[in-house]
Amino acid sequence: MIQINQLSKVFRTEEVETKALNDVSLTIKEGEFVTVMGPSGSGKSTLLNIVGLLDSASSGSYQLLGKEMVGIKERGRAKIRKQQIGFVFQNFNLIDELSVYDNIELPMIYNGVASSERSKRVQAMAERLGISHRLKHYPQQLSGGQQQRVAVARALINEPKIILADEPTGNLDSKNGNEVMELLTDLHAGGATILMVTHSDYDASFSQKTILMKDGMVMSEKQQTKNIDIVVNS
Amino acid sequence: MIKNWIHIFYYNIKNNKLFMFLNLIGLSIGISGLIFAILYWNDEHAYDAWNTEKSKVFEVINDMGENGEWYTNPAPLGPHLLEESDLVASYCYLNNWYNGANIYYNGEKEYSEKILDAQSNFFEYFPFDFLQGDKASALEPNSIVLSQKLANRIFGDEDPMNKEITYSNRKMVVKGVYKLNEKSSYKPEAVINAIDERLKHNEDAWGNYNFGLLIKLKNPDSKEKVAKQMETIYYKNKLEPSARDLGITPQEYEAKYGGFLIKLQALKDIRLGTINSGVAEGQGNRQFLLIMMGVSILILILSIVNYINLATANAIKRAKEVGVRKIIGATKVDIIKQFLFETALMSAVAIVISLVIVELVLPVYNDFLNKDLVIQGGLIYTQLVCIFIVLIIMAGVFPALYVANFETLKVLRGNFGRSKGGIWLRNGMLVLQFAIAAFFIVGSYIVYQQVQFMSTKDLGFKGDQIIEIYLRQKNPEAVFQRYETVRNEVAKIEGVKEVSTGIFDLGGGARSSSSFEYKGNNIQGQNMAMDFGMLEMLKIPVIEGRNISTEFASDTISSMLVNEAALRVMDEKNPIGKSVTWNGEDLKIIGVVKDFNLFGLDQDIPPMVFFHVKTIDWMQYNLDKVFVKIDASKMEETIARIETFWNSKIDDEYAFNYDFVNKKYERTYMQYVNQKNLFSVLNIVVIIIALFGLFALASFSIERRMKEIAIRKTLGADTKHLLITLTKQYVVFCVIGFLIAIVPVYYLLSGWLENFVFRISISVLPFVIGFVALLVLTLIVVLGRAYRAVSLDILTYLKYE
Repeated sequence: MIQINQLSKVFRTEEVETKALNDVSLTIKEGEFVTVMGPSGSGKSTLLNIVGLLDSASSGSYQLLGKEMVGIKERGRAKIRKQQIGFVFQNFNLIDELSVYDNIELPMIYNGVASSERSKRVQAMAERLGISHRLKHYPQQLSGGQQQRVAVARALINEPKIILADEPTGNLDSKNGNEVMELLTDLHAGGATILMVTHSDYDASFSQKTILMKDGMVMSEKQQTKNIDIVVNS
Repeated sequence: MIKNWIHIFYYNIKNNKLFMFLNLIGLSIGISGLIFAILYWNDEHAYDAWNTEKSKVFEVINDMGENGEWYTNPAPLGPHLLEESDLVASYCYLNNWYNGANIYYNGEKEYSEKILDAQSNFFEYFPFDFLQGDKASALEPNSIVLSQKLANRIFGDEDPMNKEITYSNRKMVVKGVYKLNEKSSYKPEAVINAIDERLKHNEDAWGNYNFGLLIKLKNPDSKEKVAKQMETIYYKNKLEPSARDLGITPQEYEAKYGGFLIKLQALKDIRLGTINSGVAEGQGNRQFLLIMMGVSILILILSIVNYINLATANAIKRAKEVGVRKIIGATKVDIIKQFLFETALMSAVAIVISLVIVELVLPVYNDFLNKDLVIQGGLIYTQLVCIFIVLIIMAGVFPALYVANFETLKVLRGNFGRSKGGIWLRNGMLVLQFAIAAFFIVGSYIVYQQVQFMSTKDLGFKGDQIIEIYLRQKNPEAVFQRYETVRNEVAKIEGVKEVSTGIFDLGGGARSSSSFEYKGNNIQGQNMAMDFGMLEMLKIPVIEGRNISTEFASDTISSMLVNEAALRVMDEKNPIGKSVTWNGEDLKIIGVVKDFNLFGLDQDIPPMVFFHVKTIDWMQYNLDKVFVKIDASKMEETIARIETFWNSKIDDEYAFNYDFVNKKYERTYMQYVNQKNLFSVLNIVVIIIALFGLFALASFSIERRMKEIAIRKTLGADTKHLLITLTKQYVVFCVIGFLIAIVPVYYLLSGWLENFVFRISISVLPFVIGFVALLVLTLIVVLGRAYRAVSLDILTYLKYE
């Protein structure tokens, strides 16, 4: 599903040239749940942004669903973003001026989904994530956990091929954090492809594969052996 | 403390250079507009303010119904009034126009254009300071009283008192010198007292409205009563005898010819009064003054709104500063003081800049108003202080309160940048700005249309290449003979195509007006006395019958023509050959003249009666110009030749003086052309200020929404979607603002158009143009700003907020 080859990203200021990504190669298969870990400045967020087409690479190749993504224009990127990718952020990134309903509906508007269809899908999604009773509220009126559920609902509403999560539990207490992780695990169990950046070993333990990054390079890649069910029950 | 404030102020200016600069310029332009208007206002209100008699002196005006207002009165009215009313202290007959003539002293001549003929108590009505002579007795027949300036021009260093001068072939002795007050409804350079003689000739002539009349009341409150008394005097002395002569009852007479309606206007109200007035200096343009005041206040509001919008938008950026100040102990009042202080600094700088602008533009403005305004005197400085205080209150208090009420904790927690506080107010003010801008665009387009209409309208006559030369009469007994000589000689000059005369001004009307009766209808006609060929020269067609011609001897004895307007009142289908009794003479109608605009376009076409000058003997006394049509290709040299001939053969006393008929007519609506030009300039100013406000507000608002934009982009919104999202609300505001402006602009401009009898009707076009212009400008500004925002790197806003 995702094929990254020798991908580099260079940030230039007047004096310094920083390699945020240095010849990174990586493959994510369909249905995989992959975690990226590493200290601050290791390039994990940059990687996620490039995969999410929010940022572009300096060199190398990035193929999504068999298509080359490096070098395509913003218009093309916007199209792929809205059709194939769902984002979940640490700080939720909901639009405060819009209600929960409107927030969840937004990606469908950009995708040109018919209005009646939109309403049906928002209702169904809210049901699935247990936020039906919150649809008329505004983000500021919700708890962090609820806000993140809304963000997840928004990320899933277009049935994207891949979900990108940038420290999704970073702003949540452990109870709410757990709930979000369970949600992602459920999604994974349902067949979703997930790429998640996190600082937390605990969160990482939910995934199948963990990539460890440092100084813009992939240090190691290990398969998870832990049984998820045990964690949930503990 | 103040030092600290100044540091912060300076820092903010440095970091918002462009906005601060534009804001300051906007405010300065707004203030200078108001200063201009105030200077004009002060100048107009200074008229007659010096005059200690201003509340007691009243101008007598006759309301003649559909024949307009007459500012002249018959000679017997004053004496009768004084005799019969114990409410009146005195009266003073005077000309309500100046004579321009040479004054001779020791063989030298000095031209004065403002010589006034008034009764001897004139200086009780206009108590100018006397430098020499006795105010009470200076004015008598055969004496002349001079203003200081004219006395200096005539006599230089010599003492003018009791010197003999010659004016209009009469010897006169200087009996006084006065210091003229510049702001006066009568501002003569010299005053003589020849009017008494003319009054005496007319002492029983109740029908000759020839003289301006001022009366002084013992108590100003009795003005209504006195007006009634005058109407009674007219009734007894004019109406009843006339009715008796006609053998009808006074009631029948009144029903047929109308009664008498007197208006008294106090001197203090004359300059800017709602009642028209006939004083020699004329009235101020009250309507235009109000327009100027209103418009300048609108512009100032516009710039203050900009200031408030920017200040509150900017305040969000400064929320952290305020939070920190509060935590270390500042009270609300301290914060308010600080922000008021900043507004005070800005206002002070803006006022200084605006004074510079005013100083620079004042000469142009003076040209435009035909005045000599200066920034001087205590009044304007007091007013500047008032403006300063009002500015601080209007522009300063709201932002200061807004900032002072920030919730400290919210601010420091850091998510205040997206607060919605004040957004309604800002949007409301934006709508107001749109409304003002729409008002100006639509309004000035309507003014433009009307002026365009006037300058292209077919007036019914052609004044091209026709000049009128002013001919001063010498011997009152042989006026027409002299004209005939001049005509015959001028006609011989190379380049001259036609020569004739008419005792009327195109744009000003005939020199006299008389009424006559036909089929029981009373027609108040303009007396269009003329020489042969006058109508032909002006290309005014005779649509029925024939014009006067040298071929018919009767055409200088008993022939007359009427225009269509007169014919309508006469109610006559076949006028040719009909007889009319006109002022006791039997005249026969030989033709009908097509209607043309004798007055300016603000007035209707009046009934007119045309005849040869010789037909009515006394007409020639008003003959004072010669109309000459000149070959277009030889215009300049021909005028030069006429001038040479004129100066050597016709008049060596006075300078050769001529005017183009076309240009003279254009001057009747010149003030509206000027208004149009002024509005065009103001339009640009208003649009610039409003657009800048929009730009700044859109910038702040979009900046506030950067994170939202970033999120939407992440969710896959493309540029088009984002631009629509960001622009939508401004288009809505623009539409609302425009809708708000429609009614006031329609109402006020309809009122303005009522100045004209010949006017356009307000069409949809100005509104369509105004709307499209406003919308396009809005879209340019907002889209430009939004596009820049959308093109920015979104990651910054996702991550670091």
